[in-house]
Amino acid sequence: MNPILVLGGGPAGLSAAGELAAIGAPTLLVERESYLGGNPVRWQYSLLAPDLHPAEDVMGPLLRRVEGSASIERRLGTTLVSAERSAKGYRVGLKNADTVETREVSAVILATGFDHFDSRRKFEYGYGRYPDVLDFKEVEKMLHEDRIVRPSDGQPPKRIAWILCVGSRDVQVGNPWCCRMGCVVSIKQAVEVRQKHPEIDAYVYYMDIRTYGLWEDLYWKSMQDHGVKFIRGRIGQVTLAEGGSRLLATGEDTILSRPTEVPFDMIILASGMEPSAGTRDVASLFGLPVGPEGFLTPRESDLNPVDSGIPGLFLAGAATGPKAIPDAVTEGMGAALRAYQYARD
Amino acid sequence: MLSASEIRKVVEERNVHQKGTGKKVVDVREEMHRLEDKGELIVHRIRPENRPVEAKTLFGWTKRIPTDRLWHHKSCGQCGNIPGYPSSLLWLMNETGRTYLNEPHQTSCTAWNYHGTATSNPTALAAVAARNFHRAYETDHFPLIHCGTSYGDYKEMRKLLVENAAVRTKVREVLRKMGRDLVLPEEIVHYSEWVHAMTPEIVARQSRSVTGIVATVHEPCHYYKMVPEDAVYDDRVYAGQRPAVPSGILMSLGATVADYSTWYDCCGFGFRHILSEREFSRSFANLRKIRPMVEEAHADVAITSDTGCVTTLDKSQWIGKAHGLSYLLPVLSDVQFAALALGAHPYKIAQVHWHSASAEGLLEKMGIDWKSAKAEFQEYLRALQSGAAPELLHPAHGEIETFFAVNKGQVLPDEAPGAPVAGAGPDVRRGPRE
Amino acid sequence: MSIVAYLPRRALSLAEEEAAAPPAFELTGRRKLSEAERTLAGQIFGEFRADPRHHEFVLGCINCGECTTGCPAARFYDFSPREMLQIALTGDATTLWDALQEKIWSCCQCYTCNMRCRFGNDIAGIISVMRELSVRHGVEATRKTLAPFGRSLTLLMTVGTQVSSDMIQPDFFRDWGPFATGSDKVWNVSADIMRKAIPSDVLQTTRSSWEVSVQTSLELFRIYEETGVLDMLRGLDPDLTEMLIDIIEERREEFSEARERFATELAGMKGTVATFSG
Repeated sequence: MNPILVLGGGPAGLSAAGELAAIGAPTLLVERESYLGGNPVRWQYSLLAPDLHPAEDVMGPLLRRVEGSASIERRLGTTLVSAERSAKGYRVGLKNADTVETREVSAVILATGFDHFDSRRKFEYGYGRYPDVLDFKEVEKMLHEDRIVRPSDGQPPKRIAWILCVGSRDVQVGNPWCCRMGCVVSIKQAVEVRQKHPEIDAYVYYMDIRTYGLWEDLYWKSMQDHGVKFIRGRIGQVTLAEGGSRLLATGEDTILSRPTEVPFDMIILASGMEPSAGTRDVASLFGLPVGPEGFLTPRESDLNPVDSGIPGLFLAGAATGPKAIPDAVTEGMGAALRAYQYARD
Repeated sequence: MLSASEIRKVVEERNVHQKGTGKKVVDVREEMHRLEDKGELIVHRIRPENRPVEAKTLFGWTKRIPTDRLWHHKSCGQCGNIPGYPSSLLWLMNETGRTYLNEPHQTSCTAWNYHGTATSNPTALAAVAARNFHRAYETDHFPLIHCGTSYGDYKEMRKLLVENAAVRTKVREVLRKMGRDLVLPEEIVHYSEWVHAMTPEIVARQSRSVTGIVATVHEPCHYYKMVPEDAVYDDRVYAGQRPAVPSGILMSLGATVADYSTWYDCCGFGFRHILSEREFSRSFANLRKIRPMVEEAHADVAITSDTGCVTTLDKSQWIGKAHGLSYLLPVLSDVQFAALALGAHPYKIAQVHWHSASAEGLLEKMGIDWKSAKAEFQEYLRALQSGAAPELLHPAHGEIETFFAVNKGQVLPDEAPGAPVAGAGPDVRRGPRE
Repeated sequence: MSIVAYLPRRALSLAEEEAAAPPAFELTGRRKLSEAERTLAGQIFGEFRADPRHHEFVLGCINCGECTTGCPAARFYDFSPREMLQIALTGDATTLWDALQEKIWSCCQCYTCNMRCRFGNDIAGIISVMRELSVRHGVEATRKTLAPFGRSLTLLMTVGTQVSSDMIQPDFFRDWGPFATGSDKVWNVSADIMRKAIPSDVLQTTRSSWEVSVQTSLELFRIYEETGVLDMLRGLDPDLTEMLIDIIEERREEFSEARERFATELAGMKGTVATFSG
């Protein structure tokens, strides 16, 4: 059997590759970055929502299973540059630096994932302009290292605000969808801050809290046990206050129907999820159907969410839409099974 | 800070995504050309004689800014309250060798009234827009819109005329009754965009240093919040995160442009409020704009690029002392400031005496001998009183133009082959589309 | 342990007939409308919902409040663009009627809400639609609100510019201070001379923003006649409307007299100047 190509080394791709190895299928894992692990490793995620497991405890086993397997060939710093149908699977061109290698593969799993929304595009919040306006992915690293300080002056903040849905649910930036993760991750961060530094006040500005299913527990506990404060209404703009030493968040408290203006030391933007560059590339390379949001669309999202509808092409993880790590891992398993069935038959 | 290319990428991505959703923002200019091909309207082309310069808009679209052979679409508030505004612009055009028409054959856009009292409707507004566009077209001069509200309104009306066939038909019918036709200009251009395009030429003629002058910019709402996709942004100005005008010209002239916390706020004009609810306008202007400009940014001058904003910010300050607010921060338009930097007469050209918050302290700081200039102007007023002929920036209009929108002889249906009549097929004179 | 697990489950114990007929709730505290007001409110509501712009401008609302965050009127009035949008979304004539009494006139039409709205609503636009309707139907509160606009409306309808320098009289604009009119008091010359010192002949008038040719103002009036603006104004102020028509009639006569007077000069001319009849 020619190897099954797994494109993307994030949680979904790692899960798929590990699963294929477990059932003895030869696997070719290709990742465009120089390391495996995807966004959780790239941004050094701290604790994972909602169970507050350290990211290492989740990513570590996924990575070790792949790295310790003899049947998984790994190609890092490599991108897919061509693909054509061959007798059964695909003939693909894999580019590493200036070299292109041609390989025959029996099936392809696309686990190309998402990119965080670039918060500079939401000009109103001054990200990239005011150093103390941070993207929540950067805060993960701060939490991971337990160094929560204002980038502007290195001082610990007294009051932090989280702004949800930055680059999500917003036609002004072209992203009307929900990222599904912003609420729970922001709440998780607020809890983490309060656990480590109870002297810091944590406010979350929201329009809806979508800690769906059992995740609601974290939302409730964040208030009951950790004193995180929730204000219903969005911040419309961030500017400088107090001679430039603090940030001023202007919003409407939609419960009180009243404009609010609060100075903060740090403001953290819950940036949304967009199809990654890799996801956009494979969509055009394989001529895959994409939804209006730019994510790949499975043929039957309910019945067979890992099947692209094109023979031999399978989908896993955030390439088809915003997803949590457990969902990505599950889909990786499903795609591995389907791809193996296809390659075997 | 981000590099220029990074920001451009960001802006272009915003464009791609916005387009991807298929909502609200589509480039109406493309549809406008398709309608012209169907003979539904005439597009007033920017031609080489207009010496266009390219600029980028919020979504990274290219906008062509004509810099010559322009038809001044004046602002009723500027001309009525702050005449140094249009006269400085005309003066800058003379200085940079640009030609133009400044005619009595223009109505206002009437949108001040619409936004203030709603005693109009979109079809009427669209017909007024198209009427003025046609007048510019028949004189073969490209319209340059002085007022932010006219600029925003005309863009809304362009969208309406392009998207709504019923309004288009009605407007065309009304215009035909007065011998006119449905014309839309290739671009709707605000004068501050002309300033942006002309920045190198303006700066090359600078004769007074403005280094050390701290300016706070009030960004006119109707410039960038109405039809936002068409406003001009530039990587070099606030990393492309705020409109390029009018901050760009100030920076290029060497002034310090200072940020303040309420930069995005409106001025308090309110359309209706400035006439009938001024307690709101003056509270807002003083508390939300002038106070932060002075106390946070220590501004020497507030600069803006729209009629209502200069009026509100300037005229509202005098009464402030009743509440202990004695700021009296000079408020000028970008073109008045630029004209002063190029050596224009502060009274005869920049007409600073129409402003409530005296600009004399600023003139002093700019190294302008305003006392002599003031004496000169007083002298000039006396001469006018004794019947001397006024000094003019362009030739005066004859008496016949008191009555008639005389033809300037440039574009006439039976003189030009392929007469421009909407509904009669494409205009063959327009040349290839770019 | 989950917080929700602490709570016992609630049992449903309502009698069947009780559950089937829930108590009727009534909104209280709202001003009672007269029969005539109720009829007018219903008519306005119907027209509001039938206006094609309603469908185009009002898409939906997730009540995020970002529109209000940048709203200048929200800082000084009991007003929020979010509330206006909610009113546009509700199916209630009385709520709309209430908004027409005062709130719609708080809006500054700055369009900050539009630029902020994540849903892509045109909030400033839908407020304009509400205003248009209350003008067209001569809603009493609207007449009062717009009463001070007689002079600027006259200027606008007959000349086509909103302001003139002679409107800025110290009596009306005392709060603008002594310099606002480039005034004769400071410079010791008349307002006419102050205007003469502006270096463009078209600006040397005190009666309008700039000199507007008669043809141009007649063209504008033709637009008002043809597009229903005049009829709309009649709803607001019939006397003013009749006066405007009289002024324009005079200008039309003036225009045709001028056509005779300038017959020689006009003879060679083409374009609109040759065809426009006033």
